[in-house]
Amino acid sequence: MLKYIAKRLVQSVLTLFIIITIIFCLLRLMPEEGYLGAGYDKMSEVQKESILTEMGLRDPVPVQLMKFYRGLLHGDFGTSWIYRPNVAITEILADKAPISIRMGLMAMGISLVVGIPLGVLMTRFKGFIPDKLGMGFVVLVMAIPQAVYHLFIQTYLTDFFGLPMLFKEANPMSWILPTVSLSLYNTATFALWMRRYMVDELNKDYVRLARAKGVKNSVIMASHVFPNAFVPLIQTIPTLILSTAMGSIYVESLYSVPGMGGLLVDVIQRQDNAMVQALVLIYAALGIIGLLLGDLLMGLCDPRITFAEKGGAR
Amino acid sequence: MAEATVTAAPVILSVRDLDVKFNLRGRVLSAIRGISLDLYQGESLAIVGESGSGKSVFTKTFMGLLDQNGEIAGGQILYNGQDLAAFKTEKQWRAIRGKEIAMVLQDPMTSLNPLKTVGSQIGEAIAIHQGLRGSALRDKVLECLSDVGIPDPESRRKQYPHEFSGGMRQRVVIAIAVACRPKILICDEPTTALDVTIQAQILDLLKNLKKKYDLTTIYITHDLGVVANVADRIAVMYAGDIVEIGSCEEVFYTPKHPYTWALLSSLPQLGIKGQELYSIQGAPPNLFTEVKGDAFAPRNPHALKIDFVERPPYFEVSPTHKARTWLLDPRAPQVEPPEHIRDLQKEGVRRYGK
Repeated sequence: MLKYIAKRLVQSVLTLFIIITIIFCLLRLMPEEGYLGAGYDKMSEVQKESILTEMGLRDPVPVQLMKFYRGLLHGDFGTSWIYRPNVAITEILADKAPISIRMGLMAMGISLVVGIPLGVLMTRFKGFIPDKLGMGFVVLVMAIPQAVYHLFIQTYLTDFFGLPMLFKEANPMSWILPTVSLSLYNTATFALWMRRYMVDELNKDYVRLARAKGVKNSVIMASHVFPNAFVPLIQTIPTLILSTAMGSIYVESLYSVPGMGGLLVDVIQRQDNAMVQALVLIYAALGIIGLLLGDLLMGLCDPRITFAEKGGAR
Repeated sequence: MAEATVTAAPVILSVRDLDVKFNLRGRVLSAIRGISLDLYQGESLAIVGESGSGKSVFTKTFMGLLDQNGEIAGGQILYNGQDLAAFKTEKQWRAIRGKEIAMVLQDPMTSLNPLKTVGSQIGEAIAIHQGLRGSALRDKVLECLSDVGIPDPESRRKQYPHEFSGGMRQRVVIAIAVACRPKILICDEPTTALDVTIQAQILDLLKNLKKKYDLTTIYITHDLGVVANVADRIAVMYAGDIVEIGSCEEVFYTPKHPYTWALLSSLPQLGIKGQELYSIQGAPPNLFTEVKGDAFAPRNPHALKIDFVERPPYFEVSPTHKARTWLLDPRAPQVEPPEHIRDLQKEGVRRYGK
């Protein structure tokens, strides 16, 4: 198990290294005008060259790359170029990340606490009213573009419940709607897959055998069907938690949440290479950690999965 | 093949005019059409018939395990002074399932929960019906495992189904079934999914357990080799009805129903090298519509006119042997069974001197 984790971690670092190198090189292909700010057409060639040289962009790419790696090894992401010039990237993120992470974790909590029981309930009453209502909700959330119902919720529900339209960190009431909006899609996803996997399991032979043993229906559901249906779902949870915690463009911009939501798109458009590199590195790392955690969780829940190199019957 | 027990033993389960109907997208399918059957204490009954003849559905009614769209539309299943066909709630059934009547399913690969240890799956049944907990439960589980011939039960108990081979898993399923000492054990094609060498072991195990715990067993199978190996009596099912029932020798060597003739003639073992293997012409009747007369008549080369008009009653051939065919009516013309079957009869006379 430890050996497996170590191996996966080494692989992860290698993957990150490749990703960051590719991103770094691609960013050097961006048009140079982007680095000069709004007044670039009025600058002389000499002015332009001096700015670019000062930014280090005239160094050969391998030299730039080495500099960047050296910084990373010391835990230094560098400073922002354009987004907030000369402010350390860690400082920028330290302002924004906690809000997104807190909101994301809460949203994910709601999704799990509502979505999974909803899926179980739908299975329990398959074909009857609770199932149909649940399915209606799932289809609605999944079929309508998210931007539409986020906007709808903000415009009408704030009024209806008398909640504030804009986010203020200190006001707990202003957290409610953005968090709920953020949780909707995952809630629907969990409900849908939970129901689907449980219905699959219900038709399996071991359920029939459990009934033939004289086990109560509720016990069959809780101790046979649910764990088996939950295993395939469990793998996706860490990744979803992390991606939700990274913030949402729609929700954060609608409610003016000062989170990380649109940050990556923003800095790419503004050609803030240092920020782009740092953010890509963080997102990639979180994605990889999510997958690893998912695999480990699944291994913990399913005895058929072992982390040994060899062995394990069949 | 002890014929004496067949007649002397008391009836343990009695089915009277059982009708089972399924609702399939608004259409009604009659899966079981008026079956009556007495199961004798301690006997081993084999139910044979082609796929879709209702073998499994018939025995599922004894445990209330019909699918949701199926229901018992008429008749009685009398067991221990109760009419199982009238059971309404899960609670009533739970007193029967596993405790009085148990079942071994066909495929051991899928009939165990992959996430629970073998020991806990056996223990679950014991905890429900005998209320054992803790170390008493563990001891009982160990006893069950060694009962079915699983070596090293102490460590095997903590293993998961995927760590067992197919044959071993079927032993576990059997251990679960007999854990609470049921009176009746239903084996639904218990060896179909296993390879031949293991089949014989599992059948031996079932025979031993039957003797040890005085079980009454019902085998559902279309493998007539299995039947000859384990059964005291054979019931031949066709289109939701038992068309012939008798002791093993009677059905094998002196079959009376044309469907039994056809079934036996299609045994590859009875074929002659170089000749084409016999197969029954046509297809089973559509059970969505009401079957008129003898269900087998359209496929029966010996069919009489009355076969298409009126359903034949049971004609008694011997006290233990009866068949549902008009050919046995005194007014019917003499019909010679096919050559294969006459050979079987000679073989029977040679073996048993009847």
